[in-house]
Amino acid sequence: MNQDNSLHGEFSSISPAEFFYRNRQMAGFGNPSQAVYSTVRELVENSIDACEEARRQPDVRVSIDEERSGIVRVTVSDNGTGVPYGEVPNAFARVLYGDKFTARQRRGTFGLGVTMAALYGQITTDSPVIVVTQTSHTIGRYYQLLIDIENNQPVILSDESHEREGPGTEVTIRLKGDLNRSRERVYDYLQLTTVASPHAHVELAINGSSIMKMGWWHQILPAPTTASKPHPHGADLELLRRLVADAGERSLHSFLVESFQRMGTRTATRFLKFLAINPRQAVNTLGRGDISRLSSALRSFDGLGRPDGKCLSPIGKNAFLASIESVFAPSALTYGSRGPTEWSGNAFIVESVAAIGTGARAADVPTLYRFANRVPLLYDSGEDALTKMLKRVNWVQYGVRSTTPVSIFLHLCSTRIPFKAAGKQSIASLPEIEHEVLSLLRELGRSLKKTLKRGERSVRDAQKKREFDKAMKQVAQFSAELAECDAVPSTTELVHRLFEVDHHV
Amino acid sequence: MFDQSKSLSALKDLGTAIVQSIDNEEFPTLKFPGRGTGNLVYDEESKRFVLGNTRVIRDSSNLRHIKSFTQLVWVASYAKQLLQGGRTCSLRDLYYSSEAFGVEFSDQAESDRTVTDLECLTGIAREAFGVFPEERSSIYGQVTMRYTVAGYEGRDVDLTLSPDGLPIGPALVTADPVESDAELILAVESGGIFSRLIETRAWERFNAVLIHLGGQPPRATRQLIRRLHDDLDLPVYVFTDGDPWGMHIARVISTGSANAAHIQGLTTPDAEWIGVTADDITKYSLPSEPLNNADLKRLDELSRDVRYSDSMWQDYIRDFRQLQRKAEQQAFSRHGMDYVVDKYLPEKIH
Repeated sequence: MNQDNSLHGEFSSISPAEFFYRNRQMAGFGNPSQAVYSTVRELVENSIDACEEARRQPDVRVSIDEERSGIVRVTVSDNGTGVPYGEVPNAFARVLYGDKFTARQRRGTFGLGVTMAALYGQITTDSPVIVVTQTSHTIGRYYQLLIDIENNQPVILSDESHEREGPGTEVTIRLKGDLNRSRERVYDYLQLTTVASPHAHVELAINGSSIMKMGWWHQILPAPTTASKPHPHGADLELLRRLVADAGERSLHSFLVESFQRMGTRTATRFLKFLAINPRQAVNTLGRGDISRLSSALRSFDGLGRPDGKCLSPIGKNAFLASIESVFAPSALTYGSRGPTEWSGNAFIVESVAAIGTGARAADVPTLYRFANRVPLLYDSGEDALTKMLKRVNWVQYGVRSTTPVSIFLHLCSTRIPFKAAGKQSIASLPEIEHEVLSLLRELGRSLKKTLKRGERSVRDAQKKREFDKAMKQVAQFSAELAECDAVPSTTELVHRLFEVDHHV
Repeated sequence: MFDQSKSLSALKDLGTAIVQSIDNEEFPTLKFPGRGTGNLVYDEESKRFVLGNTRVIRDSSNLRHIKSFTQLVWVASYAKQLLQGGRTCSLRDLYYSSEAFGVEFSDQAESDRTVTDLECLTGIAREAFGVFPEERSSIYGQVTMRYTVAGYEGRDVDLTLSPDGLPIGPALVTADPVESDAELILAVESGGIFSRLIETRAWERFNAVLIHLGGQPPRATRQLIRRLHDDLDLPVYVFTDGDPWGMHIARVISTGSANAAHIQGLTTPDAEWIGVTADDITKYSLPSEPLNNADLKRLDELSRDVRYSDSMWQDYIRDFRQLQRKAEQQAFSRHGMDYVVDKYLPEKIH
């Protein structure tokens, strides 16, 4: 035994906090400039989620101050619901604690990010995270929190009453960061955040001076999402076991109808008949083998309708067009969307806007702006499934030339975004998503082609008119010289009439 | 010879018509005879080809016409400036001047065509507007001409003045023949033969006015041939290379070109082609080359051309097709330097 121990070392479990600290580059805290950006990002996403929860137009203020070289203080405040006071220590100082484990679209995924930022700040500057929050009808509280990394437990340094002007939350984190190198990314991120959340307003101040105030491009709040029942295709063994454990003595038939979306009584009957299982069998009599068989049958069952889309919050045509128009002032835009469909039971929608003349660099392939659940993705675009699909489209076929500045804004929203890593910067290649994205891009390509053609034609027409106008003026001048009359006759009206008529033809 | 006031009033009429339509809020249009070979008609009376009844229309309201319309009006206004300033210019000059007026031609061929359009439109030759081609033919012979151009009025020039011959330019074309010992006009295609005829004093022997054509001759040259023929009553002989191209030089001198069918006074219907014919190649056993594809194609075109419809010309064409060979004027040199003067020409000129 002693020998074995020395051979294998000591087995021990590590806490989630420790695990994430050791793997911080995975969560987007790999270097000082990315750390500033990731901190801002996590806090802003939480803030906007909280405001939507409260059905308020988000008003998010970000300030970044460099205390001394390499040490940065990031503060993000919002007008959201505020955090219930009992939950504050766990929400901000305990890894993998949160309210986001439901099957609906949210910006954050596990409530992991903010804690990760707090953790990074604590490790690099030995400073607590400071939270000031106020829920409605209360005064507000002030907290200083540290994380007990080994035990994944919050350590409360202070917890006192604190006045705040109205409900909302303000979080401050001190961290080791490179402000200069992250500045541009932060700006881009916040600007694109207002594109993906046109109902939000965002302000940025750096070292006390205001850098940006933008947003509220679209006044209508997105409809609240409601959590959906699981989709049959997502019924893996673990999920199914949990559902079965909660179902008690219910019959298999009614268990299916009540637990899953797209499972009406008729579909459930058909499904069980196909499996040759008695629909009246009580769920709690199912053995391990039965559950396993049921799981694989559910996941491969065809003939289900489109997944429930109420759990999703696409930006929507009007809002998306309005925000891009406000931020980029393009000369023409076109919108398209596809879905909802699902990957492994997770509903998703892809929507996109193609814009011409946004100041983007002209190239054979349009410039791509990626968004996932209303969050702009700025890093790792090379490995991203959306980028791959963009490159697969033959844009020349749709009239995109190396002289045409075209931008594509592509938004994937889903109950679960298949990120490649916890840094949430690139989307994994899944055939269902790739197929929908490719189809959508081609659809946009077709309408882009029409728009480009129309644009070219009107430019050509205007040029023709200019040339014609010049020629007629010359004709008038030369013939006046020939006729020896002093006044050159005016041709303006004549030319104007000719081209007006042309447009009606 | 050229009536300036007629040219000026034609230009003024053109301008007035255009200004009037613009004042009436109408797009001006211009109408003139088309110059396609399909619109060539033989006129018995003048014994030359003239333009038929087909008309082309330049409509300024047509986006495809506006460019050529503008060019045409500009050429007219430029011609007016030339006339009023007492200047002439070459076709090339005119092409390069256009830029200064903001008028664009894609090449000189286009500006040349536009000048011809103005001729068709007004029925007046470009020389009467002061526009001449760049290339010059030469003339040599026992004729004295009296200039009429400004600054030289009344001065005489003897056409044997220079052993190189005198260039045929605007001044000589407008000059009047006052004295002559010549009995015939001999127009030759190549410069080599022209020099040889001067050096060997062949002009004296034949009493000939020699004219160097230099390929298809400029209009001024054809005009001068016609004038000397008319005023001095001289027969005209044309001596060219023995191929379809040489043959056509002779034919244009007598019947006119499609490009200038709208201009009078250029053709000499009596002009006679003395060769080199296909027959001559055999008869004088001249060194020759086989006809190439371009030559054969040209023969086909000519055989269908109205100007070649009479049997003598069809025979010439048939002979070349049978022989399948061609020869240059210089080919006579095989029989010695002066053979062409001593032997060939005396047999051809009677």
